Amino acid sequence: MKVLYMQMRRELWEHRSLWIAPLLVGLLMLVAVATVGRIQFYQGPAPGPGPSPASANTPFAQMLLGWGIPFFLVSLIVIVVYLLDCLYGERRDRSILFWRSMPVTDTQTVLAKLLVGLLVVPLAAFLLSASTSLLASAILALRHHVLVNGQVAPLWDGATWVRVQLRVLYSLMVLMLWYAPYGAYLMLASVWARRSPYAWAFVPPVLIAMFENILLGTRYVGGVVERGLNNVLRLAFNLNRQFAYNLGDQLPTPRAVPNGRGVSAFLESPQMWVGLLAAVLMFLLVIRLRRYRDDS
Amino acid sequence: MANLIEIEHLSKRYGKLRALDDVSLRVGAGRIVGLIGRNGAGKTTLLKAILGLTPYQGSVRVFGLEADRDRSALMSEICFIADTGVLPRWLRVDHAIDYVEGVHPRFNRQRAEEVLLGTQIPRRARIGELSKGMITQLHLALILAIDARLLVLDEPTLGLDLLYRRQFFDTLLNDYLDHERTILLATHQLEEVEHLLTDVLLIDEGRVALDTAIEELPQRFVQLSVAAGKGDAARALHPIYTREVLGRPVMLFENQPREALAGLGEVSTPRIADLFVAKLSATREPRPAPLPVGAVA
Repeated sequence: MKVLYMQMRRELWEHRSLWIAPLLVGLLMLVAVATVGRIQFYQGPAPGPGPSPASANTPFAQMLLGWGIPFFLVSLIVIVVYLLDCLYGERRDRSILFWRSMPVTDTQTVLAKLLVGLLVVPLAAFLLSASTSLLASAILALRHHVLVNGQVAPLWDGATWVRVQLRVLYSLMVLMLWYAPYGAYLMLASVWARRSPYAWAFVPPVLIAMFENILLGTRYVGGVVERGLNNVLRLAFNLNRQFAYNLGDQLPTPRAVPNGRGVSAFLESPQMWVGLLAAVLMFLLVIRLRRYRDDS
Repeated sequence: MANLIEIEHLSKRYGKLRALDDVSLRVGAGRIVGLIGRNGAGKTTLLKAILGLTPYQGSVRVFGLEADRDRSALMSEICFIADTGVLPRWLRVDHAIDYVEGVHPRFNRQRAEEVLLGTQIPRRARIGELSKGMITQLHLALILAIDARLLVLDEPTLGLDLLYRRQFFDTLLNDYLDHERTILLATHQLEEVEHLLTDVLLIDEGRVALDTAIEELPQRFVQLSVAAGKGDAARALHPIYTREVLGRPVMLFENQPREALAGLGEVSTPRIADLFVAKLSATREPRPAPLPVGAVA
């Protein structure tokens, strides 16, 4: 346990962008809300019938949801960069010989990297987003700078804050489970590549999909990847696939709070379990490959 | 004391290349073994097998553990330095100490601090900002603070200048005298380590070409600087190697009594470097200079 903890600290020492980037985002956004002009909301009449909770769509809830987006986008980018480098960089700079000289198993090493990429950084981004949103709310409330339909809006609502944060946390856990195979795949490219893990990660799927399309005229592989990337939105959040292309239209407002159907649809989806199984298999393969990869 | 390392019929192939070919050897506790051989002879592969870093055929038992299977258990007993350039450049000095303390059960922080006290190394500097000499000192401080029974060194002074190499081996030797350790050292810097060694292990083309204790060398090998007119008589005794030094033939004999040679010229005990050249040349046609001594790979 102590070893695993040390291994994870070591990852954060090496890949400083993992925590610097989200911190920087938080700082910039706080500076922004403290300095820029007014934020205006225009609320139309409540869309459609339905039992949406009264407070669900308030400007405050929308602001909170929007607040998290930059943190998660930036985290996503640094995580992808991290996972692709985490088992390649140590061979590039030959430091693998040093890490290998310590009594740490390959399983511990790889597990620490996986946990950092798929758990620690997303959770840290969440905590950062949640805590800075408190600060931002205070700043905005003090400045009376949020207007709804031209009126200064009362901008604090503890119940909404908790509900939105729970909602975001749920989404995060869903996304972590769903994208685990993609993370494991990036690690596989990282441990496999003798040069350019980026090429190893991105070129083979594109080539396979292309050849499949040319030779067989089908789009099976591309479809699997694409559905894999998108289906989570439909399954777990009751959103259609348009979401991915049309963020502005269909922000996951609390209207889409996971009802029982979203959660169970997600947990019952064979695709999720197949993906997790693939993640575990790739993870084991990564450990196996790391064992006998060296600086040569 | 029992053998620390017991290797039986160890073979390792890389594709068609036989990096190690049926190697069997033993290393006793407390020995300092110099592992020598030309580039590509299989030295590093042998060390990797001992450290469990590569799959192999045969059996490699270290402290009674099978190296391949029990690598992580072994690594708490073994310290391993490849050349000192492998410390990650982004790592801070104090973090490096924290890290080793965190993962190594036998690390003694106080001892590392003691070694570092005598250096100019700033604690909060990144390793990439240190000079090569400082990196060497840091690496040594980390390694020597680990109470390991076996120290494996693979070209530890590669790329260092004479001063740092000397410093490295002096520190190593002093530490060895203070602690009960066994050292396995692969190097090309033969002349600088010769006085340290208790054993020599010469590997050539994946096989053990010579495996002997230093104290047995004088009985086993004799170097003869042949006197004028005695050349034919000396050649009749089957030298394993002949070279010319300042116009005089110098011959190397294996298992020839000194008395038989004494009348033929000046008799001496060969240096390890001479044995290296002789052994490698005896088994095949001479190839372009292997440069065993002081060579920088």
